[in-house]
Parts: sequence; C-alpha cells; structure tokens
Amino acid sequence: MTPVALALVAVVLALLAGAAVWIIRLERDRSRLRERLTGAASDLQNLQLAFSRFAPDEVIERVIANGLLDVGEKKEVSVLFADLVGFTALSESVEPTTLVGILNGYFERMSRVITEHRGHVSTFIGDGILALFGALAPNPWQANDAANAAIAMQAEMRDYNRALERDGLPKLEVGIGLHRGTGVAGLVGSHELKEFAFVGRTVNVAARVQDLTRSHDAEIIVTEALRVTLDPRFHTRELPAANVKGVADSISIHALEGAEAD
Amino acid sequence: MTVISEIEWDACLIEPRRDDEYERRYRQETGRPASGVRYVAGVPWLAEALIDWSVEIERRVVVDAELADLVGLVVSQDNSCRYCFATMRFFLIVLGVPDAKIRRLEEQLLSVDFSPEQRAALDFARRVSRSDPLPTPADLQTLRTHGYSDLEVAELVAVVGIHLFFNRLSTLIAMPPQPMESMTDRWYVRFVRPILALRLRNVRQYTKPVHLEPGESDGPYAHVIRGLDGLPLAGVLRRSVDEMLASTLLTRRCKLLVLAVIARAMGCQRSEDEATGLLSTDGLDRAEIDRILSHLSSPLLDPIEKLAIPFARETVWYQPMQIQRRGREVMETLSREQFLELVGVAAVGNVLCRASIAERTLA
Repeated sequence: MTPVALALVAVVLALLAGAAVWIIRLERDRSRLRERLTGAASDLQNLQLAFSRFAPDEVIERVIANGLLDVGEKKEVSVLFADLVGFTALSESVEPTTLVGILNGYFERMSRVITEHRGHVSTFIGDGILALFGALAPNPWQANDAANAAIAMQAEMRDYNRALERDGLPKLEVGIGLHRGTGVAGLVGSHELKEFAFVGRTVNVAARVQDLTRSHDAEIIVTEALRVTLDPRFHTRELPAANVKGVADSISIHALEGAEAD
Repeated sequence: MTVISEIEWDACLIEPRRDDEYERRYRQETGRPASGVRYVAGVPWLAEALIDWSVEIERRVVVDAELADLVGLVVSQDNSCRYCFATMRFFLIVLGVPDAKIRRLEEQLLSVDFSPEQRAALDFARRVSRSDPLPTPADLQTLRTHGYSDLEVAELVAVVGIHLFFNRLSTLIAMPPQPMESMTDRWYVRFVRPILALRLRNVRQYTKPVHLEPGESDGPYAHVIRGLDGLPLAGVLRRSVDEMLASTLLTRRCKLLVLAVIARAMGCQRSEDEATGLLSTDGLDRAEIDRILSHLSSPLLDPIEKLAIPFARETVWYQPMQIQRRGREVMETLSREQFLELVGVAAVGNVLCRASIAERTLA
C-alpha cells in the first residue's frame, strides 16, 4: 500500500473514530436528557398530586399550563371554624415544646377527621382551624358532611383528652361554628405566597358563630342557613338569635347536639 | 417508574373464580388473556359486559386508534387506575409500540407536546372523565372548532366511557395490578408477543357506523344511548343497562337509588331524573326519593341500601385506597355476588352520567 493510501485510510479511520465518539456522546446526552425529562415529568405528577389536596384539579391544571393566574369562582360552601377554648391561659402554663406537641396532636387528629368527612383544612389560624366542605369538588351533601365532621371532632377531642390526661397534661376544649353560604374560592395572596382560599362573609359568620359556643355553653353551633339543609336525623336546639359583627340583621342559630344512628 | 405505579392499592377484595365458558368467549372475542373474567364470575350481566366492553376498547368507527389509546392512558392515569394503566401499557407493547415511545406518551400526558387537535381531544377526555363540573356544550364547540365531527365527538365520549367503566370496575374491587405491571419484564413475553399481537390485531379494527335497532333507542337512559348512536357502544350499553336492571342479586330499587345518587353527586340532572322517574314508576314516593337523595338516608331503606347508597357516592371521585377500604367494609355485609353487582352498577352509573354529554351532539 502506498503512503498516500495509508494516509487516506488513517484519515478515514480517524474520521470514523471521531464520528463514533460523537455519536456515543450524543447518545449519552440524549439518554441523560431523557432521564431528566422523565424525572421532571414524575416530579410534576407528584407535585400535581400533592397540590390536589389544597386546590381543585382544574385550578392546578390552569396554574401548571399558564403559570399563576387570578383564578376565582363563586361557590356555595359549608364552612367549619373550630377554636380551642382557653388556649391563651394554657399557653402560659406549659412549656413551649410541650405546647407545640399538644397543638400538633390536636391539629393532626382534627385534620384527619375533617378529611374523613370529605372536608379540607383551608388554614390553621393560631389554634383555630378553618375547614371547607364543597370547595374543592361539588358536594350536594356538604352540610351533612360538615355536621358529621363537627360531631366526630368533638368525639375525637374526648379521646385526645384521655390521652393528654394519661400524660398528666391539661385537657382541651374546642368550640365549633358551622355556616353555609356563598363566597369566592380562588388563588389569593402575594406574588411570593399564594394559597387556595375561600373568602367572603360566610367565613366570618362561621368564626363569629364559633365564638358564641362559649356564651351558650354549646360544643357546636350551626346557623339557620346550614340547619335547613341538614338531615332530619340531626338533633338541634334553637338558641336565641344573635347579632354578629359584620352582619346587619341578627341571625338564627342552633346548638347541634348529635345525630340518630343510621 | 411513573407515579401511577406508586399509588397505594389494597389487596384484591374479590376471590377469583373459574368460569370456563366466559373465559373461552373472552379469549375468543378480545384476543386477550381471560384472567380478569374470573373476578366477575357469578354475576352474568357483568361478565357479559366485561366481554362486550373489552371488544369495544379495540373497535373504532372514526377516531384515530392512536388517539383512542392516548385517551385510554389519560383516563386511566386521571382515575389513578393502576390495573388499567398497566394493562393498556402492556397491550400497546404487544402491538409493537416501542417501550420508549410509550414512556414518551406517559410523559406527554402532562406536557404540551401534542398537536392542537390531539391536545383538544385529550383535554376534552379529561373534562368528561373528571366531570367536576360536567362538560358543557361549550366543550363540544371547542372540539368542533378543531375539526372534530359530531360522530368523532360522540366516539371520544364513548372511548372515555369504556375506560371509565374498566377503571371503576378494576379499582373498586382492587384488581391486582402487579402481574400486569411486571409482565413486560418477563422473559417469555418476547416469545409470545407475536402470537398475542396477531390475535389483538384481528380484534382491533375499524367498523362502519352501527345504528341502534328499533327497540334499542327506547328504555332506561335512552337519552345517553341515542347520543352514542352510530357507535357499537350504544347497543352494548343498552344491553348492559337492561341486563343490569333485570338482575336480581340486588333489588331494582337499590340499583336505581345507586344510579340516582351518582347522578346527584355529579350534578347530572338528566340522569337523576331518569333514575327517579323509574323509582317513582316502581312505586317509591317522590317525597321519600327527595329525602334519600338530599340526605342519603331514610328510615325506609333496607340494610343493603343503607350500605350501597353512601358507597355509590364514594365511587364518583376517590383515592383508590380509600374507596377500596370502604368497599371492604361494605363486603362484610354483602355476598361476593351482591358486592360485584353493586360495583358494576356504580361503574355503569358513572359512565351514564359522564356520557350524557353525548346527547348534545345530536342535531
């Protein structure tokens, strides 16, 4: 073989080797990109699943597709507001770590009960819990679900108190207010922090009605607006009409005292 | 590994039972292994439905087969049905779709890498599948602007309906997904794949529009069935609804109440009116029907209805593990066959409400 031919073969071999290296690298990059894409898709799915506990699927999809939007919708929702009685005094009498432990146990148990009754915890406000029924998905039985949840929360509270007592810790007491009405559900907040929330007078009324549990010595108080949609098997006792801050007329309220078993 | 295979899934609620006749027919008519039939053996109408509806998975009139497969994946993923998702995946591989392409399809379900027409169809499929709230005529209009004919829209609804039926059936009894999920990794699959593919291709075919026979466009839920006219599923649904209501494992009243509760949960007034109309004709007082639907309780309900009605409500939107645990509680009181019939009625009820949008495609 002549030196020219040898040189040509060497060049061709070098080119082939270069091409092979280039193809291998390309393939490696492609596979790395594919792995990253798979990982990203999986993360996105996990994220979507996680977010579905806090906001309706449709809202999540619109956020994923278009970025954060001013998404809002008028809805009829049953609102449950729960607040610990005498919590301020308790917070001054126990160690901070113990207090946090007691609170977390309380939130954990109450959240589970609310979820089991098809509600979702919208937010914790100090020692208070704001839960919504019918906000994430349509729910024609939202009032019954909220009432059942409230009764189950009081039962859970008694169980938690037995556990606290065994540990030598002070017992807790919770007042619950329920109201049904319309409001706006949507993503609210600043650019840095947005949350799915239900805003409007309905939430305020539920919180105010919860306050009345102390003065009426009732564990659970429901408004007339919610009571009229309740199953007749719930036992309610009419209470004197109450004036509530932010509402012009006095509102009819009832103590919810239990329900007949099915 | 996709997130769907990590979804919590209970142990199967139903003891499989051999039924040689149904298994032979299933294999013959669908070209698929018949192990699934064993889970519904003992409830003839449901076994028949399983065969008929399985055939419809592969039979298309106008919608592109690849799009129909995508819709199946979307609906199964959206309903968190591990069994159906794994099954769809396996049969796509058998049909020669490369594993990498399927993985890409799984990924694309959340990405925007579809043609505008495909994207519109998949978005519509998700709207029908979720139905919270129910799709509206505006959703149909969106499809029409992307060039879909009324028959194509109706067929998309039908494809979603078929997969919803199997999603409900598989999830509510917790059909074991693991064998199907690991099937593609088994060494012998590559040897039997050509035979399976041949059988599947024989079943997978386009057919001319099939119109309802004179007697088929009347009867319960005629509005949904007429909306699907032109598609083989219309006749299949007619037969399933009639045989389901005629079965005596649960009372007709119990089944109609289940259908009415599902309709109420989804806000499907048309289907609720249909069920309550039948209940009223059968002699149940209107005031009592209203009470049951308003509160899911009544002193008039018998012990089985008291279990079936709240369970029906749970079958509309759920997390698999939650509904499977609930099913286990219900099964403590019901016989295997009664529970299966309840699951079947719930599956059909969910399809009827979601497919009622097809009525809007009628001129």
